[in-house]
Amino acid sequence: MTAIVEAHALGKRFGARWALADCTLNIPPGHVVGLVGPNGAGKSTLLKLACGLLTPTSGSITVLGGRPGSGREQIAKVGYLAQDAPVEPALSIADHLRLGAHLNPRWDKALASARIASLGLDPKQKAGKLSGGQRAQLALTMATSKHPQVLILDEPVASLDPLARRDFLKLLMDTVAEHGTSVILSSHLISDLERVCDYLVVLAAAQVRLVGEVEELTAVHRWITCTRRDADTLPAGVEVVSAKHTDRQSTFMVRSDTPMPPGDWVSEPVGLEDLVLTYMERGPASAGPLAPRNVESAR
Amino acid sequence: MIWLTWRQFRFQATVTLTILAAATIYVMTTGLRMHHAYAADIAACPHPEIGCRFFLSFQGSYNAEQRLLEMLVFAAPALIGIFWGAPLIAAELERGSHRMLWNQSVTPTRWLAVKLAILALAALLTAAVLSLLLTWWASPLDQRSNDRFAAMTFGTRGVTPLGYAAFAFALGTVLGLLIRRTLPAMAVTLAVFIALQIVFAAVLRPNLLPSTAATMPINATTMSQVQGIGTGPDPSGPVQIFRPGKADAWILSATNLENSSGHEISGNQVSTCLNNQSLDLTGIGDCLAPYNLHIDYTYQPADNYWPLQWLETGFYLALAALLGGACFWRIRRHRD
Amino acid sequence: MIEFRLDPRSGVAAYLQIVQQVRQALLLGMLAEGDRLPTVKQVVGMVAINPNTVLKAYRELEMAGLVVAKPGAGTFVTKTLTQSSITEHEPLRRELEAWLAKARAAGLTEAELDALIRATVRDTADEEK
Repeated sequence: MTAIVEAHALGKRFGARWALADCTLNIPPGHVVGLVGPNGAGKSTLLKLACGLLTPTSGSITVLGGRPGSGREQIAKVGYLAQDAPVEPALSIADHLRLGAHLNPRWDKALASARIASLGLDPKQKAGKLSGGQRAQLALTMATSKHPQVLILDEPVASLDPLARRDFLKLLMDTVAEHGTSVILSSHLISDLERVCDYLVVLAAAQVRLVGEVEELTAVHRWITCTRRDADTLPAGVEVVSAKHTDRQSTFMVRSDTPMPPGDWVSEPVGLEDLVLTYMERGPASAGPLAPRNVESAR
Repeated sequence: MIWLTWRQFRFQATVTLTILAAATIYVMTTGLRMHHAYAADIAACPHPEIGCRFFLSFQGSYNAEQRLLEMLVFAAPALIGIFWGAPLIAAELERGSHRMLWNQSVTPTRWLAVKLAILALAALLTAAVLSLLLTWWASPLDQRSNDRFAAMTFGTRGVTPLGYAAFAFALGTVLGLLIRRTLPAMAVTLAVFIALQIVFAAVLRPNLLPSTAATMPINATTMSQVQGIGTGPDPSGPVQIFRPGKADAWILSATNLENSSGHEISGNQVSTCLNNQSLDLTGIGDCLAPYNLHIDYTYQPADNYWPLQWLETGFYLALAALLGGACFWRIRRHRD
Repeated sequence: MIEFRLDPRSGVAAYLQIVQQVRQALLLGMLAEGDRLPTVKQVVGMVAINPNTVLKAYRELEMAGLVVAKPGAGTFVTKTLTQSSITEHEPLRRELEAWLAKARAAGLTEAELDALIRATVRDTADEEK
């Protein structure tokens, strides 16, 4: 199956600064992928590289097997929602749909009008007068009505109130349920994405820190709490991701493919938020290995 | 995409058409009246080639309208550059809607090409209409005023406004693409356009074609063709000739009155001739002839008017094409 | 039709919460044999979650024998978990009561009992994985 995104040592430099460095990914289709990282980590850069708005400085990237932005067919396969959901302010909603029908090789008129109607939007309303949530919904409709194979969304819910956020995610998941579209959406808050993502890419300081299916990641990571001890006294085959010590107590986050043997410690599951934060903090200066952790299920 | 460009451009188009309509009405009404009056006055003038007495007052009575129309045609290219060119791309980039459009299966190149083509065409048409209107309107005045090469006149008649409009538009567009913010792009466009206009008119235009050098000896015959002679406010200063040579040529430079050894003479030395009220220009020439005076001057002959117009327009159009090409080059390398 | 809720803070995986809520509905008699579970689209419309999560939950329920998926028609309840099925596990219940008596005699408080039971359930679940 063609990967949604395949990147090899992908890098992008702006002037002297590397916004993204040495990024290698192979994201399988059929997932809702969460791209998480602090502001400035390189999320927008990666997404723009994926839809052809930027060209790589080094390395390569293919999306659905094709070079991003290379011609109408490639653009038709990828639906993109830029940050802050830009629309054409001078055009009405109906005009937007007309534009979409006119420009795209595949356009589902019925789906688009049904979506707009179900959202309770007035087609004659000028797009410039819509609220943030409504704009996001319109932009999502524009992106999905051309039946893309993958949707790429750059911080789609960052500036939405909780209600608008919920409605947006519902619409998005409805699209996934209906058409099996793969989705990549980014956010700097994992809590935005927890409900909907089943695949995770963690970015920090221009580098990929963690990649894998959410289920497997949460299965192989555990919190180990015990009396104060060194990390190498833990059983072999257990990789220590982070370690914190007080004078009496040690807390480790470990990664282990096999269940932890019983011992004088308490083992607890790791929540997604803790997992993401730990891998984000674990910079190049830490003792941990530099290579991103890849957890691929056997296919 | 064509439809979208039209929708985005609708406001500017409406304003421009309104202005053009108003200008046309104004030009037609005042112009027809002026042309009638001129025809009548010419009919009453016995020797048009020599000069007609009515002309100066005629010119004076239409001076205000002429200035007004010239201002309009002169400002039009700059306004096109600021209000059509700069926002064309900068406004779209500023609000980010290009990202949505480029994902609606329009490649950035096609997006740029359609926008540029449609608006460049509109800019040329607008400039052409304005130039046509003014050139027709001012034709009686231009025929007699021998002012064709003056900066305000040369740049507002004939084909030069088209070159300026195309250039200003392309300049605004490429600056909008590079600066990515509408207001700064507008400001820089205006500054660069004005600077180039000044430099071109002062330095390049006179040298587009090789100029002719000539020497005019001061005698009755030559003096009968000039427009005047005199010193500045200081009667002991150098003496100048106003409009030596052919009346309709473009004088680029002229020395003051010099004697046969090439030294400038002062007004005092010839005050008897200059201050004699009973002498007309021919008489003054007769009076000065014994002094063996001359001036050296360079000029472009009247025949070079249209070659110069085409050369200048060609230059501006070439510049416009270059800037347009730069836009496409830039958009291929730096999309976002 | 049953309503689903999702609590991202509970520490329980999303699909498990769905499974638990279906079990609960069966227990309370809100779902009867032959009833159709909400479609994936309907669930996604109620709570904004990944459709795969819903599918996974329904698969779990199917493996537990509680529902059956009929392609093109939906997912239907095959067995209910009423109070009567709790009585099926009467022997286990009696063993549990005996153990509780022992534990209370040993002096464990309710909180300690709770912690011990939870930890043991978790640890043994880990081993079985």
